[in-house]
Amino acid sequence: MTTCESVYTPNTYKSDVKPVWCPGCGDFGVLNSLYRALADLKCEPHDTVVVSGIGCSSRLPGYVETYGFNALHGRALPIASGVKLASPALNVIAVGGDGDGIAIGGNHFLHTARRNTDIVYIMMDNEIYGLTKGQAAPTTPLGDKTKSTAYGNPESPVDPCGLAISFGATWVARSFSGDVKGTTDLIKKAIQHRGFAFLNIMSPCVTWRGDDQFKILRAKVRPISADHDVKSREAAMRYTNEQDIVTTGVLYAIERPTLVDEMLEVRWKAQGDRQPPTRTDLLKAFTPSF
Amino acid sequence: MTQQLALSIVGSGGDGAVAAGDILAMACARDGLHVIKTEAYGPQIRGGESSCTVRISAKPIFAQADAIDALIVFNWADFARFRSEIVLSPTAVIVHEADDPTPDEIASSPSRRVIPVAFAALARDAGAPNGKNILALGLLASIFGLPADAIRAAIEKRFAKKSAAVLEGNRNAFDRGFALGEELGLPVAKFLYTATTSKLLMSGNEASAVGAVDAGCRFFAGYPITPSSEILHFMAEWLPKLGGSCLQTEDELAAIGGVVGGSFSGVKSMTSTSGPGLSLMAEMIGLASMAEVPAVIVNVQRGGPSTGLPTKSEQSDLLHAVFASHGDTPRVVLAPVDVEDSFHITVDAFNIAEEYQLPVIVLSDQSIAQRRETVSRESLIHDVVSRRVASPEALEDFQRYQLTEDGVSPMSMPGMAGGMFQTNGLEHDERGRPSSMYIVHERMNEKRYRKLDAIARHYRLYRRFGAEKPEIGILCWGSSTGPVREAIDVLTAEGLAVAAFVPRILMPLPAENIQQFVNSCAELLVVELSFSAQFHQLLRTQIDLPRAKTHVYARSGGKALGVTEIIDQVRRCTAGTEKAEEVLA
Repeated sequence: MTTCESVYTPNTYKSDVKPVWCPGCGDFGVLNSLYRALADLKCEPHDTVVVSGIGCSSRLPGYVETYGFNALHGRALPIASGVKLASPALNVIAVGGDGDGIAIGGNHFLHTARRNTDIVYIMMDNEIYGLTKGQAAPTTPLGDKTKSTAYGNPESPVDPCGLAISFGATWVARSFSGDVKGTTDLIKKAIQHRGFAFLNIMSPCVTWRGDDQFKILRAKVRPISADHDVKSREAAMRYTNEQDIVTTGVLYAIERPTLVDEMLEVRWKAQGDRQPPTRTDLLKAFTPSF
Repeated sequence: MTQQLALSIVGSGGDGAVAAGDILAMACARDGLHVIKTEAYGPQIRGGESSCTVRISAKPIFAQADAIDALIVFNWADFARFRSEIVLSPTAVIVHEADDPTPDEIASSPSRRVIPVAFAALARDAGAPNGKNILALGLLASIFGLPADAIRAAIEKRFAKKSAAVLEGNRNAFDRGFALGEELGLPVAKFLYTATTSKLLMSGNEASAVGAVDAGCRFFAGYPITPSSEILHFMAEWLPKLGGSCLQTEDELAAIGGVVGGSFSGVKSMTSTSGPGLSLMAEMIGLASMAEVPAVIVNVQRGGPSTGLPTKSEQSDLLHAVFASHGDTPRVVLAPVDVEDSFHITVDAFNIAEEYQLPVIVLSDQSIAQRRETVSRESLIHDVVSRRVASPEALEDFQRYQLTEDGVSPMSMPGMAGGMFQTNGLEHDERGRPSSMYIVHERMNEKRYRKLDAIARHYRLYRRFGAEKPEIGILCWGSSTGPVREAIDVLTAEGLAVAAFVPRILMPLPAENIQQFVNSCAELLVVELSFSAQFHQLLRTQIDLPRAKTHVYARSGGKALGVTEIIDQVRRCTAGTEKAEEVLA
């Protein structure tokens, strides 16, 4: 059991639950990066909440020694939003897969981004449904054969980063789980961002997308150019829906008031610095005061 | 002399029918009278026909009126839209706009008094072109001897922020109407009352919201839906003032998700919805039950299935509330019997949710939720239970889902050092670690269901009215209770030994108490607004209801249950003309 230690190492955040992931799964890289990022930033374990939906990657909260919530398929973001809004002092990280976040949970992705809810959202993107053993996801390339697309995928995929930018996310980045150093760095930046930070991590499924996925991805990865203007939405959109390359790094980063900022503003408008309302105030509209 | 009256005002948008009803109801509340006020509208979002009915009584009342004693009609075409809902007493006084000719059906009734009044012209002359509703109030006040001073004061308050000319015009309109009533000199029974301590006037939705705030709810997430949205509106106004937050979510999935997250983080949280929303929340009810997260859901029933009758009441979400979600899912279902009870039941919902760490559904319905009713201010007090937080000893080797005698385990919240755990919709062991072993699942199911046993022992929420040794006993719940209670008063006065048993907790049912009641009655009548008799079905799962003596009166919602309707059903049962165990409707 972890208590308030003064020294934070990646091991501080490692729980005693052994991952169920297949050997070689890309999600190990994400998990190790998360341990390092939390340690580097000295995130207090008991003030951190990791929330997930359902899927292989959504098992992740169990492996992290913080508070954790492995919830329902597609519903990580509503639960994470509830945690953050009710208890703004907590550090809230939502995690899950591409099917969880874009198919069944797509509507929540839109609205959580739009509100600029102060949470980190890590999407482990393997372009497939892994836990249910190999069906097409909204990210599966057109024409790919999967268990549910016997004659090749007839649907065009979406780019999660493009969605996040158009939904109004204020921080959007892409990473590759084979690059633990780069991924650690981006998770740290995501945690430090004020507002909704979306990190899409290409995290290969070696079981249902093939053993060579790491090799293929590694060949496609290109770090974003140093002179990329992260404040430009137009520039950021150029790095979405890429065909033969995978650009990693921060694509987009702007500042605007977060949902918690706005909620504090609402409280101020409602009450200002006046004494809290009394029960008489609460019942005033129902009281015949004449 | 009479101790109660029911008055209806019908008009088009802009006629002020509902505003007049508000003024009258608030004035009567000031003088300590008992009031139930209901409204009905056409399907238009704005404008269109509206009707407002105010039942006033010097004695406690529990239901809407069966028949109307006085009707104000500004426009007969509008009245026609509500014809099936407004039942006129045989001696009703009907006052209508003089320009609008009375339909033959109304005019031909010999006992009714139908009086044309030039509302629009008289109001204009009084200096209040929009004041025909106020003129009508003056008229009603003088004809029936309503509390005129209180109505005058309510009018002053209503127009206090308007120009002096508007205020003066409306004062004149009321006085002109009052004088006209005196000139008419109708021989009607005057309203007899003594003013007492003033009461509050509020709706069931508002009472639920006040109960939630009193219980300590500081996070609300909800999606708009008729007829529950007033709860969202109240929370949006008041939670920020109280240092809390209210989030309007993208759908009901996110609403209940937000509640589960907020509550998991340690803040008492609630959502409100109606049938279609509750259907969407079913999966998350299972998560809250499995992860043992306190969650309060107020479900205001309307006619169903599907979109159904969004603005009308029904009691047909019962089995969904009791059984919703896949798997073996312990949850609690409570149901208020009136507006005041909506306050108490909502506080109880939080108390049970927090103490036993599970989802609690409050099953209100449109008729309780949206009518405005007088409530004694002193009655709105209810003990509040705090969350049972893990002790320092429990945190030394913390097991969030520790197996205990009553099934309740120590609970930590994020921010507590030493309390870290992972909660899970997957079956899990005592530390919260996922497990798919049979024996873990069996032990955890036992643990979660032990909480229901404990709740059944500690929360025997029910009401019982009427005779000690009843010839006929009525079983009902929720909004059916009001008309049943009034029917019992009438039948008791006639010498019939009749009683009612009303569970206010439907899951777990107070089965022992219901069985005792059933055994004590010669005949039984189950009353509910559900075509498929869901309450009867639920009772039969746990109660021995002898077929030979059990009658069921179950019909669709869409029309309020009437006192006379229930009296008729009781008489049919006692007369022995109905074979038992037959749906009577």
